[in-house]
Amino acid sequence: MPKADPGFKKTLSPVEGAGKLSYCYQCSACVAECPAAHNFNDFNPREIVLASLTGVADYLTAKDSVIWQCTTCYKCYERCPQGTHPVEVINALKNIACAAGNGPEEVASSRDNVLANGSLISPSEAIGKRRQELGLGKAPVAPAGELKKILE
Amino acid sequence: MAASTDYTLFLGCMIPLRHPQIELAARKSLAALGVKLKDVEGFTCCPEPWNFKGASLESWLTVALRNLAVGEKNGRDMLVLCNGCYATLTEAAHIASSDGETVKSAVDKLKSLKLSYSGKSNARHVASVLEDIGAEGISGSAKRPLKGLKVAVHHGCHLLRPSEVMGFDDPFEPSVLEGLVEALGAQVIRYEGYTDCCGNATRDTETSLRIGSEKITAMKKAGADCIAVVCPACFEQFDLGQIEMKRRLKVDHRLPAFHYCQLLAIAQGEDPSSLGLDRHRVDVKPALSKIGK
Repeated sequence: MPKADPGFKKTLSPVEGAGKLSYCYQCSACVAECPAAHNFNDFNPREIVLASLTGVADYLTAKDSVIWQCTTCYKCYERCPQGTHPVEVINALKNIACAAGNGPEEVASSRDNVLANGSLISPSEAIGKRRQELGLGKAPVAPAGELKKILE
Repeated sequence: MAASTDYTLFLGCMIPLRHPQIELAARKSLAALGVKLKDVEGFTCCPEPWNFKGASLESWLTVALRNLAVGEKNGRDMLVLCNGCYATLTEAAHIASSDGETVKSAVDKLKSLKLSYSGKSNARHVASVLEDIGAEGISGSAKRPLKGLKVAVHHGCHLLRPSEVMGFDDPFEPSVLEGLVEALGAQVIRYEGYTDCCGNATRDTETSLRIGSEKITAMKKAGADCIAVVCPACFEQFDLGQIEMKRRLKVDHRLPAFHYCQLLAIAQGEDPSSLGLDRHRVDVKPALSKIGK
């Protein structure tokens, strides 16, 4: 059996109220309308909060963890009677997974794209042409250098 | 802040670089309503609240506050056409209204760029700006009402939730956006699960498509001719997504999707052929042919 680690919850980012998970009383209000729970047997926001609370969350921050199936629909946030914000607990777990190098490749690459171009999407000649055909000006150029400066 | 009809336009990434026809419709339709949009330099990706926020909350917050600081420098609120941009910029401002260490560190980093953040400029979702203008103002600009068109409204999660932060409408029984569609003369079709997610942000592609496909099935069952969205990520899920649904799930829905601003522009009398709608992957013509019938 995995060893419990009550200190784990303190490693979750306090930003966005993910730290409120101690209030969870395991009522499952977060589960009923969760689209990820409907589609994945091993995705259950109540269990994810419990695992984070007791510090047996290694399986959640491992490579290809089920947490990445969260659609971020925020229904669990609204339905929770305790202000636990399961979606933000999941997000804090995602941060831990990424810091450990366990995040999905597409997450790293979308972040790299933003850092390189200042934009999620690389500008292309084709889109420039389409903008011109529509009578739109050039697409705004994002100052990627400024992001490097504040994120390094 | 300036009068509420003057905004700095915050375009984000997906609209100008993937779906510029939505940008065109927004510029035309909002101008017709007297909304003045100013283009400024210096914005980056909001950044998006799925992957980037999942990678690092601290970096996500820093980049978002930088964008809000650029908005603040320009002295107006920022009008956004995307639920993702709205969620990121609104949540970041909400977080920044408390004094956490993370917030302080993010605000400090902006000093090296000679930017400052004090919360004076907010993101305004186009749906919310249109709500301010009101149904009467919108109907008044609709020279060619969309009579006969049955529209399934998809709000998108990040416009509605968390409602205490987004403040747009009821998170489970919203009706504001539906009212804006009715103001165009169209008929709103309520369908089962109308506040459900489009599924775009789920990692597993087939599941993502299945969630979107189930939603489209419910819309069609209720008799919709088309989908109205206010977010390019939802738009992509419902437009390009249908091509993938056909290929991978063997379901051929053919239910066209529009950004609300596109329907607004059409109702205002813009010739649909001048709006770049031929770029939509699901043919919009069957829906447009219902207008006036």
